[in-house]
Amino acid sequence: MKKSLFDQGYLDEQFCQVEDLQDEASPNFVEEVVTLFLKDSGRLMSNIEQALEKYPRDFNRWDAYMQQLKGSCCSIGASRMKNECMSFRDSCGQGNVEGCMRAFQKVKREHAVLRQKLESYFQLLRQAGATGAATRSIK
Amino acid sequence: MRPDERKGVVAARRDQFPVGMRVLAVDDDPVCLKVLETLLLRCQYHVSTTNQAAIALKMLRENRDMFDLVISDVHMPDMDGFKLLELVGLEMDLPVIMLSVNGETKTVMKGITHGACDYLLKPVRIEELRNIWQHVVRRKFSTRDRANLDIYEECNKPSNADSDHAHGHVTCGSPDQSGRPSKKRKEYYSEEEDEGEEDNTQETDDPSAPKKPRVVWSVELHRKFVAAVNQLGIDKAVPKRILELMNVEKLTRENVASHLQKYRLYLKRLSAVASQQVSIVAALGGRDPFLHMGAFEGLQGYQAFTSSTSLSSFTPHGLINSPRNNPAAFGTQRVSASKSIQTVTGGHALNHSICDANKYHLSSPGNQQGNLGQGMATSLGQTQMQPKWIQEETDDLSTIFSGNGLANSGMSATLQGVTSSPLLPQELVECTQVKVGSQPSVLTPSVSSGHLEGTVGVSSSLLDPRVSQQTTIPLSEFSASGLPIHGLFNNSCATKLGATSSASTPVHPSDDLLVARDTKAGASSFGSTMLLPPDTEQKYLNFGGGNSFKHKFDERTADSLFDLKFVWSSGLSSQSASNIGAHHSISQRWNNSSSNNSNIGARMIGQPSSSASTVAPHAKSDFLISGDMLVPKNASDLSVPKLQSELSSSSCSFDGLLNSIIKVVRSYHPLVSLPQHPSL
Repeated sequence: MKKSLFDQGYLDEQFCQVEDLQDEASPNFVEEVVTLFLKDSGRLMSNIEQALEKYPRDFNRWDAYMQQLKGSCCSIGASRMKNECMSFRDSCGQGNVEGCMRAFQKVKREHAVLRQKLESYFQLLRQAGATGAATRSIK
Repeated sequence: MRPDERKGVVAARRDQFPVGMRVLAVDDDPVCLKVLETLLLRCQYHVSTTNQAAIALKMLRENRDMFDLVISDVHMPDMDGFKLLELVGLEMDLPVIMLSVNGETKTVMKGITHGACDYLLKPVRIEELRNIWQHVVRRKFSTRDRANLDIYEECNKPSNADSDHAHGHVTCGSPDQSGRPSKKRKEYYSEEEDEGEEDNTQETDDPSAPKKPRVVWSVELHRKFVAAVNQLGIDKAVPKRILELMNVEKLTRENVASHLQKYRLYLKRLSAVASQQVSIVAALGGRDPFLHMGAFEGLQGYQAFTSSTSLSSFTPHGLINSPRNNPAAFGTQRVSASKSIQTVTGGHALNHSICDANKYHLSSPGNQQGNLGQGMATSLGQTQMQPKWIQEETDDLSTIFSGNGLANSGMSATLQGVTSSPLLPQELVECTQVKVGSQPSVLTPSVSSGHLEGTVGVSSSLLDPRVSQQTTIPLSEFSASGLPIHGLFNNSCATKLGATSSASTPVHPSDDLLVARDTKAGASSFGSTMLLPPDTEQKYLNFGGGNSFKHKFDERTADSLFDLKFVWSSGLSSQSASNIGAHHSISQRWNNSSSNNSNIGARMIGQPSSSASTVAPHAKSDFLISGDMLVPKNASDLSVPKLQSELSSSSCSFDGLLNSIIKVVRSYHPLVSLPQHPSL
């Protein structure tokens, strides 16, 4: 399943790096990070949404928020979402409100999709882990 | 864990630096922060994290020694990352690495100009984090060079080519060549600011009180300062007027006052040293440790500095007597690369890479010089600046020299920095005097020959004017021919040497050989600003070019040193053109071959003689080169060595340079036995 995530471009190699960081000392590192990401990005996105409403045409502010969100995406390797963030920032740069709105919708969508996929991914991992443990114990 | 406990635990690991290096990570993005923390832990660093800049500052202020490195995000809600960067740099002088998603050139530029050691892009990769310890080492070396850093003693990074020749002062060579200039600069800066540093530390030790951020005297700022001081006249310069002239906002009168105080002390030191060292240093150009470090870098600063303005102004000050005047000039010797920040400080600056020199010296004599240096220094850095710098300087120098009459420089103490400061010639003259005495102050006039090619050439021009003056110079008889050496200053040390070597040149047969050899190459990088008489066919001129010199000297190894220093440009100019460029290399070489220095110094001297009055600087010129190298120590034997040392240092600010050179030389080579040049 992970492969499909990569193939479809949801995740990139940064995610691999994050996974590499998982070891015995921090066995659930990846999951922790992903959870953190999903939570934080949700927060950031609602910030942006508010800003889009409360501060019309305040591109600087929007851009600043989106910058943060983009940073998070980068750190975790959420590439599709990151791309949408970039297009949002482009629109901001151009002063294109319409473009921003559209881009933001895409960002939200990507976020939702990613959340779903990652959650099922981890579920699989857990199952595999349990099975694996079971298998190992049998052996 | 309480700070004490943590320190204990951490301290244990720090012995295995870079393992256990203490990093403070600041980022408002929790995801990124967590990933970063884990990455750093994976690199075996000790990590503390916070998502607020204010907390980070508080932690840093509480105990300055608690961290080695700070990594900070650029975009943070509570405080701009750049602001944090500045504050940390000012207050704690810790290396700061910026982190951001935004990799636009202008943003990165902003980070660098605000003082960041590095700028990483998110997502951060572990490979990039593995090397961040180099920033810590680099900074520590420059600031604590003098202290024994046991921790870093064993760090012999393969990249530290200089470690071998590093003086005793520096336990480990700079992490890498590239870091040298900056290190030098830092060294210089720290050296210069030494007195102040401690004060500052004491003042700012109290974490609770929000200390006024310490003003960082950047090259630019220092240059302005120097310019202002020169404009007012070193005696009449008062902080209030200086402040007005500088017209820098957020700079207080107190800042200026304390800086002025330091600067004055620096000048005094230079002159004191210069006078003493003249003989010794001249030959070796082994400027003080600073030179050693950045050797050229420092010089650079000086050189620029010394250039014309300083000289001219200096003369009145009696450059003649003390190479001091040229402090900038010499200091820069090291600078070679770095634009010899500025003449004045010459001596010290060397290490610090011109910038420092600039800062410091600039104020001195020649505002113009400072400018030169400044311009030069800014140019970068180090090493490559020379050509440009030299040109500027040479112009200046020439003017200055002419005025100064190489007499002063006789000793070329200035050699060192060759740096712009016109002073160099003076110093050189002085130096040369010491040594050469009989030697005609060849200084430079002959340089005209083409002098040193780019860098050197420049100096040569300077020299020329000087040379003429030289005759007047009591020092050495340096024949007017020239030690274009001064001209050479451009690079590393305009090593005034030229002056000394003057006619008598034959001073050291060996030297001649050396010089001759190099000169052939054209690059006879005498390193020190030997005022090689222009006649000499380029031998001397090579200083600047060092390159050629280097070739020659390969055997000597010192060559490299000389090259730098020898910007002499004079006479050799024809050859020198290449030499000057070589400087850089030379300076590097210098480091390597401290011993060579001595040789080189000797050589240099010898060369000039060939040409004719070859600036006696003989020995001296070398000094400039790597500062260390020349260690004029043996200068006694060789008048030349002294010259070199002096020269090297003198390039910029004779005084400073000399001092530095002397110091360097001394410290560096206990054995500067110039007279014998095996290579010869």
